[in-house]
Amino acid sequence: MSNRSETLIRIVDLHKSYYDGESELRVLQGIDLEIKTSELLAVIGASGVGKSTLLHIMGTLDRPTAGQVLYGDQDVFTMPEAELARFRNQEVGFVFQFHHLLPEFNALENVAMAALITTPSNKAIYKEAAALLEYVGLAERLSHYPSQLSGGERQRVAIARALINKPKVVLADEPTGNLDRRSSEAVHELLWDLNAKSGQTFVIVTHNSELAEQVDRVVKLADGKVVL
Amino acid sequence: MKFEWFIASRYLRSRRKQSFISIISIISIGGVALGVATVILVIAVLDGVEHGLKDRFLSNEAHVALHIFDHSFFKDYQERIQRIEAIENVVAASPVVFAQIGVFPEHSNTIQDVIYIKGIDPAQEDEVTGFSTYVTGSTDFQNSELIEKAAFIRDETIAGGIILGGRLATRLGAMKGDVLRLLIKLVDIGTGSLTPDLANFVVIGFYESEMEAYDSNFGFIHIDTAQKLYNQQNRVNFIFVRLTDAELAPQIATKIEDAADFSVLEGMPNARTWMEAQAALFSALQLEKIATVIIEALIILVASFNIASTLIMTVMEKTKDVGTLRTLGASRGNIMRIFMIQGSVIGTLGTMIGTGLGLSICWLLSTNTERPSYWYILALVVPIVLQFLMASRHALRSKGGWKFAVGVLWLIGVGFALYCAVRPISLVDLGLSQIYQTHQLPIKINWVFVIFINLLSFVICWFATLYPAWQAANLKPVEALQHE
Ligand SMILES: Nc1ncnc2c1ncn2[C@@H]1O[C@H](COP(=O)(O)OP(=O)(O)O)[C@@H](O)[C@H]1O
Ligand SMILES: [Mg+2]
Repeated sequence: MSNRSETLIRIVDLHKSYYDGESELRVLQGIDLEIKTSELLAVIGASGVGKSTLLHIMGTLDRPTAGQVLYGDQDVFTMPEAELARFRNQEVGFVFQFHHLLPEFNALENVAMAALITTPSNKAIYKEAAALLEYVGLAERLSHYPSQLSGGERQRVAIARALINKPKVVLADEPTGNLDRRSSEAVHELLWDLNAKSGQTFVIVTHNSELAEQVDRVVKLADGKVVL
Repeated sequence: MKFEWFIASRYLRSRRKQSFISIISIISIGGVALGVATVILVIAVLDGVEHGLKDRFLSNEAHVALHIFDHSFFKDYQERIQRIEAIENVVAASPVVFAQIGVFPEHSNTIQDVIYIKGIDPAQEDEVTGFSTYVTGSTDFQNSELIEKAAFIRDETIAGGIILGGRLATRLGAMKGDVLRLLIKLVDIGTGSLTPDLANFVVIGFYESEMEAYDSNFGFIHIDTAQKLYNQQNRVNFIFVRLTDAELAPQIATKIEDAADFSVLEGMPNARTWMEAQAALFSALQLEKIATVIIEALIILVASFNIASTLIMTVMEKTKDVGTLRTLGASRGNIMRIFMIQGSVIGTLGTMIGTGLGLSICWLLSTNTERPSYWYILALVVPIVLQFLMASRHALRSKGGWKFAVGVLWLIGVGFALYCAVRPISLVDLGLSQIYQTHQLPIKINWVFVIFINLLSFVICWFATLYPAWQAANLKPVEALQHE
């Protein structure tokens, strides 16, 4: 397991504004944040404060208006597009509020997807994907399509999918925001367990106060800044 | 590319697992296939008509016709023919007295018809136009039994025998042995009025070449008789020439003019090629072919719009998926290729199916075999189809082998129905019999053109994929994710 005090992600004076004609909507106004390896971090804040925006930028899905996101010493936004795609593929796993599974593919294929982008299809990938699905408790659902799964099951498939390439960081945007209480708890258990076992870093945006109480650190956003 | 194929092939299939390929893909493939099939078919028919026309046309047509510009008579024609026949690639030459002549019915003083008369030496003419192969009846212009009989019965002077074009004979109502009165010239008898100088000919045979131009306008008489009638002993006004290869006509025409060696007094020679004689017809065919290619290119273009709109629709439908794939680390290139593969598969399948369909219909139209009648289709195919329908309701729900077997049986059934339904088209039905009397629709497949159309279709379809694929690749990941 890697050293807990090592900084994995450093966010430096991050700004993000949306422009609509003349008017400027300043969402992030100077975020500074360090996230350590193996940390389980919760991001909270009022709706519309910019939590998702921050997560997208951390995951290189969007670009900041100003500021840097450093993974180690690497400023990710200096990378060209193709390299950035590769970086996302290898180093970052995403889980969203809505599962975002591909409807034409079964659970196993959905989980294997990220690995298939860079590696020709082989048995090892599907074995790994099956193992992940077994780990999230869906050993019996490998060939089910998303439409044949319940909300909680889908979300667990989505978590398994985020893990296939053993990313350094998993970014989860309200992963249980759409689930009932029991499913939510199952997903939470899974996340704690994963964090404890794999030593991967988790950044979880949440409204759930129970969840927020069980994490290593809570970061609160307000008025475009980190306040806690 | 493995990954892109993995995604694209799944998108081509329908959502519901039952069918192999989605309806929308089928429609796009069908559009391309129809375009390609019609091009191949129409061009094959046009090529066939042209080729057939040329073949038929050239079988009884001289390749080059030598005459003096004002059609005046010239002497020493046998010497000239010898010199012409010495030219390389000339097969034979034949002297002809060529004239336009009025036909009088018996006991009448008004002209019934104006026809062309060829005064020929049958032996020499055979070498050039295969004359006697098209004649039913006698080709002995001077000593036919029919002539003697007519002369005996009518008690008239008979100039000789005449062989009439088959359709001309029908039009004139002339039977074998009938006497035909031809107007040779009008004679001034001194009182200021003109009197016709008529000659009597006995119909001894019919000329049936299936070339409308000859069969309804021409009569053939012996060259000696013609010379006598026109008072042009030892002279003719035309020499017809046959070449080893009709396509050589333009080059050899000038050599023929030189070999004929007309003096200035005789006049300007003109060696007219068959191409010049039929320029209007063949250039019309050429024009028609060009127009067809343009129209067909438009059909394929429409089909490619079909592909483009199919892809644009898929891109719209899959926007969220594109966002997801981007979060999983798919690059723009990956996304672009996914949609280009989809379009290319549609284009390729459509082109291949279209080529197969076009060639099969060409084959069906060109084979002259008798096919089971339409009643057989009903008697055989309807029960088969019904049975398949019932079987497929179960089979489509089951998997693999069964589904495949039912599909194949279905195809065989539909193929057989088509085989029965498509029969050789008669040109008479198409109203083309006026210029080309045959009952078989001529088909000629130009393989170079088939390959060209395939390439054209591939290229057009490929271009059609570019914009939608580019559009998909440039979706912003975050916006795509949030797309509803
Ligand atoms: N693509 C966009 N264009 C314009 N405004 C946006 C866009 N995305 C988000 N916003 C705005 O930015 C703010 C922050 O959004 P978001 O990060 O989704 O908030 P949170 O996740 O904290 O609820 C909101 O006011 C939202 O309306
Ligand atoms: Mg949000």
